[in-house]
Amino acid sequence: MSADLRVAERTADTPQPVSVVRRIWRWITRSSLTGRLTFPVVCLIVWLLAIKVVTTIWPFAVDVLPTPGQVFGFMFDEIKGDTVAPHNMYETFAISLQRLGIGMIIALVIGTIIGVAMGLSKAVNAFFNDWVVAILAMPNLAWALFCSLAFGFGDIGPTIVVVLTGVPFVIINVREGVRNTPSDLFDMARSFDVPRERVIWHVLIPSLLPFLFAAARYAFALGWKGLVVAEVFGGQDGAGWTIKFWYDAHRAYGVVGYALLFVIFALIFEKLMFDQLSKRLFKWRPSIDAADVVEARFDAAAPLPASVAAAEAGATATSAAMGSITLATSGPPHQPVDDPSPPPPAQDAPKHPRSNDHG
Amino acid sequence: MADITVSELHKEFGLGADKVIALENVSLSISGHAFVSVVGASGCGKSTLLNILSGIDSPTSGTVRITQNGRPARAGYVFQAARLLPWRTVMDNMLFVQQDRSKETRDRCQHYLEMVQLGDRGDKFPGQLSGGMQQRVGIARAFSTEPDVLFMDEPFSHLDAITARTLRKELNTIWAETGTTVVFVTHDVGEAVELSNRILVFAKGGRLADDIDVTLPFPRDVSDTEVAVTKAEVFKTFEDIGALAIS
Repeated sequence: MSADLRVAERTADTPQPVSVVRRIWRWITRSSLTGRLTFPVVCLIVWLLAIKVVTTIWPFAVDVLPTPGQVFGFMFDEIKGDTVAPHNMYETFAISLQRLGIGMIIALVIGTIIGVAMGLSKAVNAFFNDWVVAILAMPNLAWALFCSLAFGFGDIGPTIVVVLTGVPFVIINVREGVRNTPSDLFDMARSFDVPRERVIWHVLIPSLLPFLFAAARYAFALGWKGLVVAEVFGGQDGAGWTIKFWYDAHRAYGVVGYALLFVIFALIFEKLMFDQLSKRLFKWRPSIDAADVVEARFDAAAPLPASVAAAEAGATATSAAMGSITLATSGPPHQPVDDPSPPPPAQDAPKHPRSNDHG
Repeated sequence: MADITVSELHKEFGLGADKVIALENVSLSISGHAFVSVVGASGCGKSTLLNILSGIDSPTSGTVRITQNGRPARAGYVFQAARLLPWRTVMDNMLFVQQDRSKETRDRCQHYLEMVQLGDRGDKFPGQLSGGMQQRVGIARAFSTEPDVLFMDEPFSHLDAITARTLRKELNTIWAETGTTVVFVTHDVGEAVELSNRILVFAKGGRLADDIDVTLPFPRDVSDTEVAVTKAEVFKTFEDIGALAIS
């Protein structure tokens, strides 16, 4: 792109008469909503094409390849509460959600205790570190099979799978949170003689909160996956069991339809619970959409807004808290999973690092 | 107005071959409505001295006594970075360091926010303010505890020249109004001459090399001839003591 063209582009951004059509076209192409809406449309087209192609090669495939009509009809019936399965969709999700909730609470409590201890003490960290990594590496399926053998069919097995899936993420996040506590703010509080309780409430806990929040998100997303697997093998009801029910009944539209209901369920939770909670808890953080920053930098047509620069400067590991469920399910990229020699905890750092910086 | 007495202060970091002497037998006393600047090159122990005075750090040997009419003095601190709690509003940051949350305390905080021209920003979060504004909040926070002595550690070094200049003027006004004793660490000799009535020059190895009284009338400006002359004199001192030599 020549320099002249870039200048021309920039002047177009200033309030000059731009044709309405162009403005609408720009809005459509730049809006993230367009991108979001295009994806399901593309999926639908691929789906219909796939059925067409496969059935021309192998006509019997009609039985196992459900059409969008069948799937959405099934989902509509389920949403109406009209089902041949033993429980309707709402009962099924309520059962699973209860297991997930209890499992997550247990994981958060145990994980926070162990994570804080690991962050504070080198010895405790050495004691747990390898086993946290081992539990992290264990496939959900192994836990599901083991727990259904050990606890039989019921609530206990799936709940324990949720705990075991979620707990390493909570431990690792909380440990990193403890290691990242803002020592400069503690020094500030000390120099003003702020009482200890107030420091805990206004400095320590708020600084840990983003890490706990990230942990809860990971635990939710991964715990949910683990739970579904566990219910397939060790449940007599719940979402995983029901998808197995449709599989056993050889109803492909039931399996696909239920999987889509999972997606809707996860999205609703993400939007209604985590996003809202995050907005409330972290309203102090300059709001920013990371994708916008990259795009702005890449295009370089407009200078970065000052708020973006400020937010980038302020961004810490806490921004991991904002990772969506899709990111979380693919595994946390920043976790030091294979970290054989973790950095020493804060109290082992030189007694007074500040003096080396200046003065 | 506090009285500060420092005697035979010694501070070392590390052990054996890694041992670094940050302060070497420093003795000094400060009293009255003083604005004392501590100047010197990087690594001469300026910040260490300030941290020991404020109680953030403890000395290897020697004593520090800071009193106000015989009782222990109250201290405030302004840091190089503003060090505000990012998750609390400006007003809550001010209240965080106060003894109580009474109406009078709130009014006092508001008064000092107005003094740094941020009276209408109390409900903003630090992330919504510029660097200069954040540093202003840090200064207001320190003064709002009405300290007998205020320690300032290169508070303007991260700011642009124009913002720093404005803040220096504000600081000078507030200092004149409050009567607080200020100990001000800086590596900027011009800043030291503009603000202070006494300059302590530190040399490498944490030695107190010189103690200069600056008697020019306030308000001063870096562009004043007398300030420039005094600045040149201080630099001359640096040369005389070999503080400018590259070691």
